[in-house]
Amino acid sequence: MRNIFILIIFFYLVALLQTSFFPHFPMGHLSNFVLVLVIVINLFEAQEGKLGLLGAFFGGFFLDIFSENFLGFWVIILLTTAVFIKFVLRKYVRFPTFVQV
Amino acid sequence: MKLDCKRKIAIISVLAAIFFLALNLTPFDKKIKNSFYLVSSPIQNIFWGAGVRASGFFEFIIEMKHLKEENEELKLQVQNLLAENEVLKDFKEENKMLREALGIGLEKEFQMALARVLGKDVAQDSILINKGAQDGISEGLPVITSQKALIGRIGQVYSNFSKVLLISHPQSSFDGKVTDSEVLGVVKGEGNLKVAFDFIPREKEIKEGDVVITSALGGERALSGVFPFGLLVGKVRRIERADPEPFYWAELSPFFNIGELEKVFIIINY
Repeated sequence: MRNIFILIIFFYLVALLQTSFFPHFPMGHLSNFVLVLVIVINLFEAQEGKLGLLGAFFGGFFLDIFSENFLGFWVIILLTTAVFIKFVLRKYVRFPTFVQV
Repeated sequence: MKLDCKRKIAIISVLAAIFFLALNLTPFDKKIKNSFYLVSSPIQNIFWGAGVRASGFFEFIIEMKHLKEENEELKLQVQNLLAENEVLKDFKEENKMLREALGIGLEKEFQMALARVLGKDVAQDSILINKGAQDGISEGLPVITSQKALIGRIGQVYSNFSKVLLISHPQSSFDGKVTDSEVLGVVKGEGNLKVAFDFIPREKEIKEGDVVITSALGGERALSGVFPFGLLVGKVRRIERADPEPFYWAELSPFFNIGELEKVFIIINY
């Protein structure tokens, strides 16, 4: 529960930085740091972890709040991205492990 | 167990879809956004101010090399402008006398409201300002800088905040005119902070560096509404001509820099 709370605060602050701080820098208005973070968390999280999906939901929600689109627009995009990464990792990626001979 | 998990995911997805649908179909989404903006505006204010200062500092370091050249150029420009100003002062006096003689009152000044910029949309060309319906702001009002450079028009209005659609927004389109000439065209937003000056008749000539201002004819698409005459729109950066076409277009660099915007003016009455 504590982790989820920290995750919500974290994505809220990233969304604020994205909309209020980064637009001042070259290419800052074009890059989406919330999306990048969601991809990174989902790539490096354990298979059974849920923080990647929750991060996608809350990150998307905050992006929707600070954008012109309808509520749910970024939630759908980020959740789809997170589910897709998890699916690809589960089905097609195998990390090398020690096998007892 | 596996089916249970799938069923759980399906139920959560359906509930989430209903939740977002209900939010978007009722005016409740505006209330939610407004309350988030109320809570976030002090932090956004700090971030935006820090962004302005940080980008200004880095820009200063990067452009230090060119400062001397730019300074010389600006000095020359100031001299030219001073000379032009003297001529204009004479014209102003003459204009005033003629107006008095003809009984025409001086043009009414704009009634304006000052607003602070809080943030920029992630993907769209729009900014958030701290004035809303409670301050008498309504959709379509023009937004300018203190130098009378057009920024855009009010899009969505919340109780205490508003979204400003920049002139580079794809939904933005209005008539423009090149200063000191009769060349008219349509200023269109291209997204990603790009602005085009389109539908310039083939027989009319413009050159790089020409200044485009608003003309009082209003927008081609009803969305843009009418902007007051004479607001600065942008400078011609690049001209694109295709021989068989009856019209050509040019890319404009707007007179405002999104990174340096801190305060804007909303023209309430004109």
